[in-house]
Amino acid sequence: MPEIPTEDLSNLLARIALRDRAAFRALYDATAPKLFAICLRLLRDRREAEDALQEVFVKIWHRADRFASGVSRPSAWLNAVARNHAIDRLRQIRSPHTDLDIAHGFADPSSGPEALAINSDDGRRIDDCMGRLAPERAEAIRLAYVEGESYLDLSERYQVPLNTLRTWLRRGLLQLRDCLGPAS
Amino acid sequence: MPVSDDDSALAAEYVLGALDRSERRDAQNRIATDPAFAAEVAAWEARLDPLLDRVAPQTPPAHGWAALETRLFAPPDDPRPRSAWAWLGIASGLSTALLAAVLWLGEPMQRAQGPLWISDLVSDDGSVRLAALYDAARGEMRVSVGGDAPAPDRDFELWMIAGGGAPVSLGVMPHTGSAAMAIPEDLRAEMVGATLAITEEPAGGAPGGQATGPVVATALLRRI
Repeated sequence: MPEIPTEDLSNLLARIALRDRAAFRALYDATAPKLFAICLRLLRDRREAEDALQEVFVKIWHRADRFASGVSRPSAWLNAVARNHAIDRLRQIRSPHTDLDIAHGFADPSSGPEALAINSDDGRRIDDCMGRLAPERAEAIRLAYVEGESYLDLSERYQVPLNTLRTWLRRGLLQLRDCLGPAS
Repeated sequence: MPVSDDDSALAAEYVLGALDRSERRDAQNRIATDPAFAAEVAAWEARLDPLLDRVAPQTPPAHGWAALETRLFAPPDDPRPRSAWAWLGIASGLSTALLAAVLWLGEPMQRAQGPLWISDLVSDDGSVRLAALYDAARGEMRVSVGGDAPAPDRDFELWMIAGGGAPVSLGVMPHTGSAAMAIPEDLRAEMVGATLAITEEPAGGAPGGQATGPVVATALLRRI
């Protein structure tokens, strides 16, 4: 999918904050496929993801005025609205993940880690920094962030006590922060 | 303001989504009350966002937009405001006191505490009507809109004009039905005896807060 220029998304969000429905429609067309994919990956259920997508756009409509263009990139803000909603829902309906293979329910042909080329400088930077972490720490961060696994899921997966897992994951996150440096 | 490593790690865990339900709720309360922590959460959202580059977009449900549009923009299910308007439409020339009574029907629990001001805006050809009732004590205005909807991709916007000043937008009006709006404190003194006007503007309202569209109707706000 072609990247939508940041200025265009900022502009649409500014217009949506002023209740511009045409802008809202344009934003939906431009970003629903990505936000739907994020919900689908986290919730692993098409019906749940469809409901989530609608809730996410209701939030975007009501909260567009809280997006501060100087502080964050509009795509990151939109992705965060989607992830936050999906994770809230995930923790509400399923804790922890049961059998991962059964829970998947659908096969996403493009979900392999190398399915999409990294297409931004930020993407290359985080790839580089993730590569400096111990491999299982990097993998755990990815599993939590993209697939919605909780600490409990991860401690079962890696067969380590929850507190141990938490300690090394927190250490990994701080290492990642220091490697990434100040936000660009 | 920088936060401690502990707080930074907690913000990261929150963004990661790894916290359980109650820890997650605690973190959300903290975001609402602690700006430094909220800023660190935003920083983590920006830091980790590139990990989503590899999530391939998926075709959203075919009915997705239509369902969203219905949910956000359909007229309210409550039939009272609309039937109240239909009644108004039939009984044109209704006394202003009756008009006021009709406008309050939507919320029978509310009682006006101070003087009421009313305005009845009708376009020249009678195709667009808007009745406004302003409760000066509460600074609250209720409007009821009826008749033809604006052209596609256009909205009706309501303006207040006082003392020869520039029109001040009071907001975009619903296409039909009724709405209640709070009048900002600094406008309240000017509302009394002001002229109200409806213009047709691009969807979402006049760009830059200045009326651009044709004037559909104007009327004085009168005391009743």
